[in-house]
Amino acid sequence: MMRYKIPQLETERLILREHREDDIAAEIAFYATDASQFVGGPKSPEDTWRYISMMMGHWALRGFGFWALEDKDTGTYQGRVGLWYPHGWREREIGWILMPSATGKGYATEAAQAARAHAYDVLGWETAISQIAVTNHASKAVAKRLGAVMEETYDAGDAYGEIEVWRHPAPADLVNGGMEAYA
Amino acid sequence: MSLALNIPVIETERLRLRSHREDDLDVIADFFADDRSAFVGGPKDRAESWRVISGALGHWALRGYGMWLVADKATDAPIGGVGFLNPEGWDEAELGWHVFNGHEGKGYAYEAAAAAKSYGAEHFGIPAPISYIAPANTRSVALATRLGATYERDGEVLGNACHIYRHSKAEAA
Repeated sequence: MMRYKIPQLETERLILREHREDDIAAEIAFYATDASQFVGGPKSPEDTWRYISMMMGHWALRGFGFWALEDKDTGTYQGRVGLWYPHGWREREIGWILMPSATGKGYATEAAQAARAHAYDVLGWETAISQIAVTNHASKAVAKRLGAVMEETYDAGDAYGEIEVWRHPAPADLVNGGMEAYA
Repeated sequence: MSLALNIPVIETERLRLRSHREDDLDVIADFFADDRSAFVGGPKDRAESWRVISGALGHWALRGYGMWLVADKATDAPIGGVGFLNPEGWDEAELGWHVFNGHEGKGYAYEAAAAAKSYGAEHFGIPAPISYIAPANTRSVALATRLGATYERDGEVLGNACHIYRHSKAEAA
């Protein structure tokens, strides 16, 4: 039997854990609306289910992937944050996607910091990017709060459009006070 | 949190049904580059073909059953895929199969599907699965019939009209 470990991480307000069937229902509702336009949506329920199952397979193949974000107080699904590097991807990426009800609370920054710390401290990544749609201002603000710097833009085609590549501070820069400065 | 990917290995006379692996990508990408893959969601490029592998693994994690990679028992080389599919949008669990380029016409799909079917009856609680088949896919219609399935009704899957075949109750092996 193949077994793969999805480490559970905790931040001040969130638990980062594996995805469950209930979370998929929330993602299906999210991808049915234009709120998903910056992250490849809208998608049909069928495509969304396949996307989430593919995300779970990414853990098995890579040893890292997307965590589900659970609100510590209410236990409800807030979105996902993760480490992403499927075949053909530009380079190793830190991603965040919040459900519409979870925005504006600093959850993406809080969760992405934990994911980045896992990438650097546990997995030994030397660097990471985040790819963000040019018009996704909320997500670019998160990248900025994380200390990332916009490096270049490119056209990612129909589903994603014009994309900005943001570069995260290197592990050494975070040790030198980078992380605290943005916490 | 540890997630089990309990993908059993099944051996038949000539075949091994096993988990998909990343090193199967060359063969799978080659299959999905071809129009023959239109019956199973193709064509797809190499990056999308990788997602077929990760998606197959994720299906096992979510449902507890899924698609096996069908390999040559002697060489372990990929020959095709077989197993049970039940993602969002499916009426119920489907027994599905496909054979990669160059391996058609040798009875591999029948051998693999018959083994998968009896395993599903015994271990997954799927005694009489359906198969979605495009009417134009005459090879698959012939194989479904040979497996003992019969036409049940017209249906639709992912927006495509298709025929739904019903397998007879398999004896648990």
